Amino acid sequence: MSFLNPFLLFGSLALAIPILIHLVRREKSEIIPFSSLMFLLKVPKRSIRQQKIKNLLLMALRLLILALLVGAFARPYLTQPAKPAGNNASANRGVVLMLDNSYSMRYGNNFDRLKAEAQKRIDSMRASDRMAIIAFNENATLLARPTSDKNALKAIVDTLEPSFSGTRYYEAFTLADRALSEFAGDQKQLVVISDFQRNGWNRSSRESIIGTDVKTETVNLAVQNPNNVGIDSVSVDQTSFTRTYTGRVIARIHNYRKDIPVDVQVSVALNDKEMGRKTLTVSANSSALAEFTGFDLQLGFSKGRVHIDSNDPLKVDDDFLFALERREKLKLLIVDAGKAKQSLYLRQAYTSSPDLPFEVSVLPASAVTPEEVTNHEVVVINDVPRLPDKVRDRLDDLRKTGQGQLIILGENAEPGWWNSYAKFPVKAGPRIFVAKDRGRPSVALTTYDRNHSIFKPFEKSTRVVLNSAQFFAYMNVEAKPGAVVLAKYEDGSPVIVESSKEDHGMLVFNSTIDSKWNDLPLKPSFLPLFHEMVRYLSRYNENRSWYALDEAIPVVAGLESVAAAVIDPKGGRQALGQLTAGQVKFFTPTIPGFHELRVGPDTRLVAVNPPSSEGNLDTMPPEDLLASVQRTQGESQQAGLFGTEEKAEYARRQMIWWYLLFIALLAGIAEIYIANQSYKAS
Amino acid sequence: MSTPVAEQPKNRFIDPKVLMKIQNLELVARSVVEGFVQGLHRSPYLGFSVDFAAYRQYMPGDEIRRIDWNVFSRSDKLYVKLYEGETNTRVLVLLDISGSMNYGSGDIKKIDYARIVAACLSYFAYHQRDGVGLLTFDSQIRSHVPPGRRRGQLLTILSEIDRIQPSELTEFRKPLRFLAEFLTRRGVIVLISDLYDEPENILAGLKVLRSKGNDIIVFHIMDNFELTFPFEDMAQFEDMETKRKLHVIPEYLRNQYLVILKDHMERLRKELSGSRIDYCLMDTSKPLDTGLFTYLAARSKSI
Repeated sequence: MSFLNPFLLFGSLALAIPILIHLVRREKSEIIPFSSLMFLLKVPKRSIRQQKIKNLLLMALRLLILALLVGAFARPYLTQPAKPAGNNASANRGVVLMLDNSYSMRYGNNFDRLKAEAQKRIDSMRASDRMAIIAFNENATLLARPTSDKNALKAIVDTLEPSFSGTRYYEAFTLADRALSEFAGDQKQLVVISDFQRNGWNRSSRESIIGTDVKTETVNLAVQNPNNVGIDSVSVDQTSFTRTYTGRVIARIHNYRKDIPVDVQVSVALNDKEMGRKTLTVSANSSALAEFTGFDLQLGFSKGRVHIDSNDPLKVDDDFLFALERREKLKLLIVDAGKAKQSLYLRQAYTSSPDLPFEVSVLPASAVTPEEVTNHEVVVINDVPRLPDKVRDRLDDLRKTGQGQLIILGENAEPGWWNSYAKFPVKAGPRIFVAKDRGRPSVALTTYDRNHSIFKPFEKSTRVVLNSAQFFAYMNVEAKPGAVVLAKYEDGSPVIVESSKEDHGMLVFNSTIDSKWNDLPLKPSFLPLFHEMVRYLSRYNENRSWYALDEAIPVVAGLESVAAAVIDPKGGRQALGQLTAGQVKFFTPTIPGFHELRVGPDTRLVAVNPPSSEGNLDTMPPEDLLASVQRTQGESQQAGLFGTEEKAEYARRQMIWWYLLFIALLAGIAEIYIANQSYKAS
Repeated sequence: MSTPVAEQPKNRFIDPKVLMKIQNLELVARSVVEGFVQGLHRSPYLGFSVDFAAYRQYMPGDEIRRIDWNVFSRSDKLYVKLYEGETNTRVLVLLDISGSMNYGSGDIKKIDYARIVAACLSYFAYHQRDGVGLLTFDSQIRSHVPPGRRRGQLLTILSEIDRIQPSELTEFRKPLRFLAEFLTRRGVIVLISDLYDEPENILAGLKVLRSKGNDIIVFHIMDNFELTFPFEDMAQFEDMETKRKLHVIPEYLRNQYLVILKDHMERLRKELSGSRIDYCLMDTSKPLDTGLFTYLAARSKSI
């Protein structure tokens, strides 16, 4: 029995009022001196008793009417169907066993306890009962379809292992609901055995899944005040271009205990060789950071591991893996007109720090050969009148193999020659001197494509802005069909244009890189803009140093069609098939550890860690969880989850309130009759 | 010159509450009786007087000096004058001073009302030259002033009435038996009581007295609340005589109580009238006239 409007039951408190009044008045009854009780004492006791009984009956009737009305308006309904099949204790039972094998179950002997509880449930099955088993973590898996075979079920439970995944109840309950639907006509039962971690329930997914006819039971394996210290996350600068690692490895250690601080030893190792060790004191229920840097790196990928020495029962979160890569620097060729200091700002931009991933060489246009340009990943043509035809043709070919080219048009460029270059994405026009031609001192770069990766630094920072630079002169250009204007001056003329997708790999910038035509090189926006342009043209992307388990990892093909595969930590090979040029496939790891992504001849190392959120063993009351996922009658009706027969059954179960009203009516009539009799008698 | 009381019939009888404010019982009695007597001149009982003497035809053997010659001279018939001394009687007031008489729902208690009735009757009788006596009782006889016409008799009675203090239980049998034994001369016996005793006890004594030739008048003094039982709220009722307490829900008991009370009064009335005893119910919220009329009616019978 349950109620659709349970709050109305508070109305039953009104029942106490007449009783209280009676008691209070009885307590306060005064003493009246009377001449003689002679006649009062002669009143037959039976008559008084009858009157008392009548009045008690009246009061009881009135209370009953009140209670019935309150009960009726609270809209009671039978939670179990009126059908004998559903309620009958001898009916066949259909049980779904939900077993939590998220990695938090590795805490102490939790998983053994889970297995024992599961075996107990299987043992208690009757011959006609059926059971399905679901194991759930981040995902839910149906381990056993409904069966009465106890041995098979036991074997499944025996072989079940805790996973390294997090907890997500919603999927598990969805699957359980599907499994329960197979028990039509049986008495449905759902048993959840878990540590009921709070972070496994996303409160926003507030949709009730489990039907009202399912009897639920929970087995809470959570331990009181769990003792756990774990590595929450590790922040790593993944790529280094120098032998000595100048980036930082910052590990965040969390003490989940709420009562006492702990001391932990934190160490970092590369390729199983310890590189540093620190001791930290982490306060109760808070985090502390351990930072490591300055160790040597070998070329290529290194396997990194942060480890803490803790004595807690959950060991999985005591290690955290990451991958580091030491790379050769990007080879960048600057071709200029050969004028003194023409490429000064550009060279400085790419060589100002030894940490920068650029190796820069500068050549005058007159000296450049097709061979010279071939050896570089990015070529910057810095305001040259023209290029030798062989070099131009070679550049066209190199773009197809992935080379990036940045063409800067300025005072030296001959518009006629550049316009004769068929694959050039813009049509060069006359030079514009802003003061003379536009009647104002300068123009600013005000409009740009905020989604393009070369403007990424300006999206993140409010201090580095593009429009601070003043442009005094530029070459008026017009984008050819297919070319994309990435940035414009405030007068609407293009500043940066990208070649079409068919001939990608070229950017055109239409003002010089010196302080004559603009003051851009003197502004803070200069370095990020030109670094990003070269990074973009080289297709150089920093990879993430680690991924979480069950997180999709992108596998990207280069410019050629190649085969891709993943080698997991156990040495298993998973082929990802043939990837066409530029195609992205996603791979989802299922076990933590170092994975090798093989894309053609390239091999990339990816570290995969279990989700650190599992280290937080805070629990939620199982009944709250069940209340969230189990439908109420009202929800079922609203959701239209009833068929015609079920609607009729549902309506039947709600009929109680009519009966209550009818009984209240009868009680009302009886009350009127008795009250009238009493009144007449008095 | 007539008094203002006589001129205003509606004020002919004084409200008991007003009388209660007069401390002097003789004054109270006089106020009531004189107002009443003056009012009598217009009443249907005209013709009765303490000075009245009846005429009877002369019979041989009568003293010749008793013949009224004035009448003879007018009518040539011989009539003998009957003297007033022959109409004198003895009046004994029996006043119940049990605890229950101390009850009063309003400003006036039953005992006060009874005092005034007793005082008025005594005054009235005394001034009719009747011998007046007083006997107060509860379960015992508390005071006894034998009937007489001595000088100061009225004052003695009034001061005795003034002095009484009700407290004890009512018990009719014993005092009435005592009276039956010691009352030797016939007369008028006036019983003023709330009659809270079993009718058998009351009637047994009164019947003996009646059988000895006494005229008996019973004034049944009742408070209006006793007659109507208008209580509403549940309360503990305390017996003023026995101090016993009883939880009473008036709503439940009123009807039964009124029926039993009515039965009690009806039985008394029947039994008393069957024994030719006058019964008069007096409601303390009403003036005293009814009582006095009843008394006078009885008195006239006894003449």
